[in-house]
This record gives sequence, C-alpha cells and structure tokens, in this order.
Amino acid sequence: MSAMRVDAKVVMLGKESVGKTSLVERYVHHRFLVGPYQNTIGAAFVAKPIQVGEKVITLGIWDTAGSERYEAMSRIYYRGARAAVVCYDLTDSSSFQRAKFWVKELQNCEEHCKIYLCGTKSDMIEGDRSLRQIDYHDAQDFAEEIGAQYFETSSKTGKNVDELFQKVAEDYNSSAFQFMTEETGVDLGQKKDSYFYSCCHNN
Amino acid sequence: MSQRTERRGIHVDQSDLLCKKGCGYYGNAAWQGLCSKCWREEYQRVRQKQIQDDWALAEKLQREEEEAYASSHAVHSQSAPGHASLTPFSKFEEKKTNEKTRKVTTVKKFFSPSSRTASKKETQEGKTPSPSISRHASFDTDQVSKDFVEFLKNLYKPGREIHKQCRAFLVSMSNKKDLGADELSECVQDFYQSLADRLISHFKGSSESVEQVMDQVEKYIMTRLYKSVFCPETTDDEKKDLATQNRIRALHWVTIQMLCVSMDEEIPEVSENVVKAITDVIEMDSKRVPRDKLACITRCSKHIFSAIRITKNEPASADDFLPALIYIVLKANPPRLQSNIQYITRFCNPSRLMTGEDGYYFTNLCCAVAFIEKLDAQSLNLSPEEFERYMSGQASPRFSSSEGTWPDGSQGVGTAVTNPVLAQLNTNLELLSGLCSRQEAVMEAAQSLQSEFLSWTQSVQREVNDILEKYPLEIKSSKVSAIDANNVDNENLPSPIKPQVFAG
Repeated sequence: MSAMRVDAKVVMLGKESVGKTSLVERYVHHRFLVGPYQNTIGAAFVAKPIQVGEKVITLGIWDTAGSERYEAMSRIYYRGARAAVVCYDLTDSSSFQRAKFWVKELQNCEEHCKIYLCGTKSDMIEGDRSLRQIDYHDAQDFAEEIGAQYFETSSKTGKNVDELFQKVAEDYNSSAFQFMTEETGVDLGQKKDSYFYSCCHNN
Repeated sequence: MSQRTERRGIHVDQSDLLCKKGCGYYGNAAWQGLCSKCWREEYQRVRQKQIQDDWALAEKLQREEEEAYASSHAVHSQSAPGHASLTPFSKFEEKKTNEKTRKVTTVKKFFSPSSRTASKKETQEGKTPSPSISRHASFDTDQVSKDFVEFLKNLYKPGREIHKQCRAFLVSMSNKKDLGADELSECVQDFYQSLADRLISHFKGSSESVEQVMDQVEKYIMTRLYKSVFCPETTDDEKKDLATQNRIRALHWVTIQMLCVSMDEEIPEVSENVVKAITDVIEMDSKRVPRDKLACITRCSKHIFSAIRITKNEPASADDFLPALIYIVLKANPPRLQSNIQYITRFCNPSRLMTGEDGYYFTNLCCAVAFIEKLDAQSLNLSPEEFERYMSGQASPRFSSSEGTWPDGSQGVGTAVTNPVLAQLNTNLELLSGLCSRQEAVMEAAQSLQSEFLSWTQSVQREVNDILEKYPLEIKSSKVSAIDANNVDNENLPSPIKPQVFAG
C-alpha cells in the first residue's frame, strides 16, 4: 500500500494505444520500452511528487482503460479529478474525435477539472510529415476553444513530457489556493457539493 | 476369564451413568455427564463468571480511559513511578476527582450500548437507545476501543478532546437511526471534516499526524457504527446485492478470452496469484472498517498486477488491469458486493483515499461492477444470438472446446492442458478416489481385526475347554484338611479353648 499522500488526482484519458501509459512511464521512470504491440507499459497508478517553487506537490496519476467497451464507465474514473490529460495520437484522426468526446464529457461532469490536450507520438511526424493527420493549428484552436493547454509530446524522445506534468502541478498549486479559500467561504450546508462526497454511485 | 473379555467392550459401570456430582440421579453426556439439575446450576455459574469477566473488562477499560486522562492532565507526574510521587501527585488527585466523577458519567454513556452494563449502571444516565450495537459484537468493539484509548494516550490533551468528540458523536449517531443512509453518511463525513479541521487549526497538527489520528478515529467510529450503518434497511442495498450476485452467477460462462484478459492461468504462479486475488476480494466483506475493506481491494489488485506481469513479462497498464479485475470479480462473486461498495463510498474518510492508490483500485472495482451490470453481447465481442444462448444455458463456450471430457476423471491429463479448472477438479477427484481406496483398506483391516477378535475368544475358550477336559476338576477327598474338617462350618468360632486353659 502506498502511504504516500496524494494532493491531486490526474486522469489520463484517450483511446486505446494512443500512448497514455507510455507517457506516464516516460515521465515517472524516464524510459521508453520498445516493442511491436506496445500499448501497455507501466503501472496503472503512480504517485509522483513534483517540486513547484517552494512546495512539493504529489500528483496521483490515474491510467484508464481506453477501450470503447469501458466508455460507459469512464465517468467513474474521472470523478473528482483535478486535472485530465486527454491524449490523442497525432497520426490517427479517429483518436482526435474520441478526445473531443472526452473533453465534452469532462466539461459536462467535472467543472473543477482542468483539461490538458495532448497530441502524442510527435517523434513520428518529425520523421515523416505526411503522417500527421491533425493539424497543429486545428488542435491549438480546439484547445483555446475549450480553455485547455495544448502539448505535443513524444514519449520516445521525452519531448514536452516533463513540461506537461510540470504545468499540471503548477496550475494545481495556484488553483488549490483559490479553491481552498473558496471552499472555506462556502456555507457548511452546501458541503455536499464538494468534490469528494460523490465518489461512485454506479447506477 | 472368557466371560471377562466378552464384557470388556460394552460393559458400563453403573457409576458411569450417574451424575458426576454424585447426587444420585442419572447424568447425560449432553450435559457433560451431569444430571439436568446439576447442569443447570453449573451452567448458571459459568454464565455468571462470564458476565463478571465482561464486567471486569468494561471496568478495566474505564480505568484505562481515566488513566489516559490523568496522564494527559498531569504529564510530569508520569515520569515518576506511582508511589514515589504520591505527595506531589495528591494535588492533582484532588483536582482529578472532580474530573473523574464527571468522566464516569460520560463513560457510562460510552458503555451503555451493551445492555448488561447499562442495566447496572444506568442510575444517573438514561439508557441510550442503541440496540444496534449488540452484545455479541462487543468483543471486537472492546478491543478496538482499547486500542483507540491506547493510541490517544500518547496525544495528551488533543487525545482527550478527540475522545470526547468521538463519544459525543457516537451518542448523537445512535439517536439518528431513522435517517436515510445518505444523511448518515453526511453526518459521518461532516464529523471527519470538522474533526480534521479542528485538529489542524486548534492543535496545529502536521498533516501527517492528523491523518494518523483520522485513521484511528475512522477505525474506532466505524467499528462501533458498523452494525447499524452497513446495508441499512432504509436502502435497497440488499436487493442490489442479490441482483448482482445472480447476475454474476448467470454469467458463469464468460471466459478469460472473451474479456481479453492477458493472464495465462496455466502458469502455476499466475493461477496462484489469481486464487489469492479472489480470496482477497472475498475477504473484503469480513472487514468492518472502510479502510480495511479498501486494503483488501488493493491487495487483490496487486495480485492481479503480478499475475499480468508474470504472463506478459512486462508491467501492466489499466488496459490490462480492468478486464482482469472484471474476470476476478466474476470468478469470486464476492458476498454483498454492492453493500460493501456503498458502505465504503458513504463512510470512508475521503480526503486521502479517494485520490490515493486505494482510491484508484476502488474506482476500478466500481467500474468492474458497473461493467458486469451492463455487460452485453457487444462488450464480449459476441453476436447477440450467441450471447442469448449462453445466457439461457443452451450452449456453453467452455464445453465446445473440451466437450464430454470433464465427467470422466480418467482423462484428466488431456483436460489439464485445456482448462486449469478441470485440471483442479481432476486432481481433486484423484485425491478423493485415493481416499476412498484407503478408506476401504481401513474397513477391510477393521473387519479382519474384528473376525480375529471373535476367533481369538473362541480359540481361548476352546483352549480353556481343552485344558478343563484334560485336567478335569477333581474334588479330592477332603482328607488333606482332615484336622480342620470339623471346623469348616464354624470358622467364626474362636479357637478351641481347651489347650488355652491347659496352657494357662
């Protein structure tokens, strides 16, 4: 059991094999495992302490099952999340459509959850520009529209990976203060609404 | 001699049948060899003792509590051993007696749920109407209370405060039994929140120590409340439990391949982990504290992870884990699954557990249950017709691969390759047949022993008869004892007087 205290819950969302797990694996263990059918590496949950200014913030990073089979349950996963990294494969336009679906879900269900849009496998398009299926500006526009940060990452080279999670932690740090003061200002009777009360009513 | 051996087996002495107390009545084995009257007396005595023991425990707890307060009240007196510090201590003692009398009444409140204690002590305090925390659960709860007091002892003043708050909360909860589960949950959550806030603001506790305290508080409170708030009658948790149980039973045909689980149960280590995972998730129901239940889920998940890791030779991701967990839940069919999930959701201290690792696994379990509830043909990559046939029991995917082999134990080797469950079944069958043949051997030996016994008595009898025949009992003429022959009938008579007189 991890006795580690976790400050914020961060969920990784995205279609199967877009590289959610690789991204976490790269970030936490600084490695990239190579293999032909390599959509699965790393543990599903990691607690990672990050230095933000003077403070250390521990992110609990939740990997989720991306298969459409479990789509109906995804709401259970991101409940109470403070940040969501919505991943899509830069070389796969269908994964971008799925990413849009999750963004919509998040906007409807988790207003406290900050969204980070993340195009993965950027090393592949650097090698061959024709592989790119999602235009940078399209993605950027979409991110702006939903008020999200946009990153293009590569778990293979490590590009933008640390930056992504650093940003998540920094945003959490600055918003946590806001959130806290907001919270104490709230009437006790309304406590029901605070994020941790409703964890899982799966029916 | 022959008569004696015949008797030995069945002979029961008259005294064995009588009451062991020696009252002259017949006893009964069911009453430990006593007669009904003596047994009742004996039973009453034991019961009385039990009651006294319980009492002593309650009083001991109370004393310990008071000591805990004393130590928090007079910290420096603790350093000196009891007798030596009597003089400086006496001042404290005075102050404390006031304290104590007040404490005792509250302590009464504390114990009042156990009816027996209450009936004796309810002089001042009205009995708290709390039959929910029933007597037979009190051993566990007493243990937990003891641990809790022990833990708080180290905290001095805050410990006292915490204890006071907890007790007040328990009492207030016992009056709120009519509330719905959600309201109860809210009460408990509010209590956690306000206590944690208080600890941080009033006692300036570090977040770590506050967490530690909150864990203990949760353990204490939830052990006490468990009976009344687990699967309460106001909710339909029980109905849901049954529905889920039946649902899982109906899905018994789902195979590991349909769920795309990357676990290979033919590898012994993997199947070992699978068994452990199943045991852990079933064990969850036996725990009372939400955190302990969560720990069971976490352990179960860890076993699943190692099973996947062994199979695939690389660490698992959520894409592997969730299907595997679904498979484990289907196989285990954990008792009261919905109630447990609801209970954890309602009463777990949320601040850490819903974001930490335990929370992650718990969420996955919720997903697995939700998946099982909604499971249809599409989610197993089956055609709707196939799904229907499997659900109605008309066909079974398992037997299409190893059809007809399973009822025949002799073909165990063939089936062992195709299905580990069948292999297990076969080894069990083998073991059973082995036991059966051994049992037969034992029976045979016993029978031969019996016949040997019979023939032995016969042979002994025969021998004796032979000897008797050979050496018939001849009553020889009593000439040998001729001198005393006249005195045979008069044995009690004193010896002849004549010679005495003559000698005198």
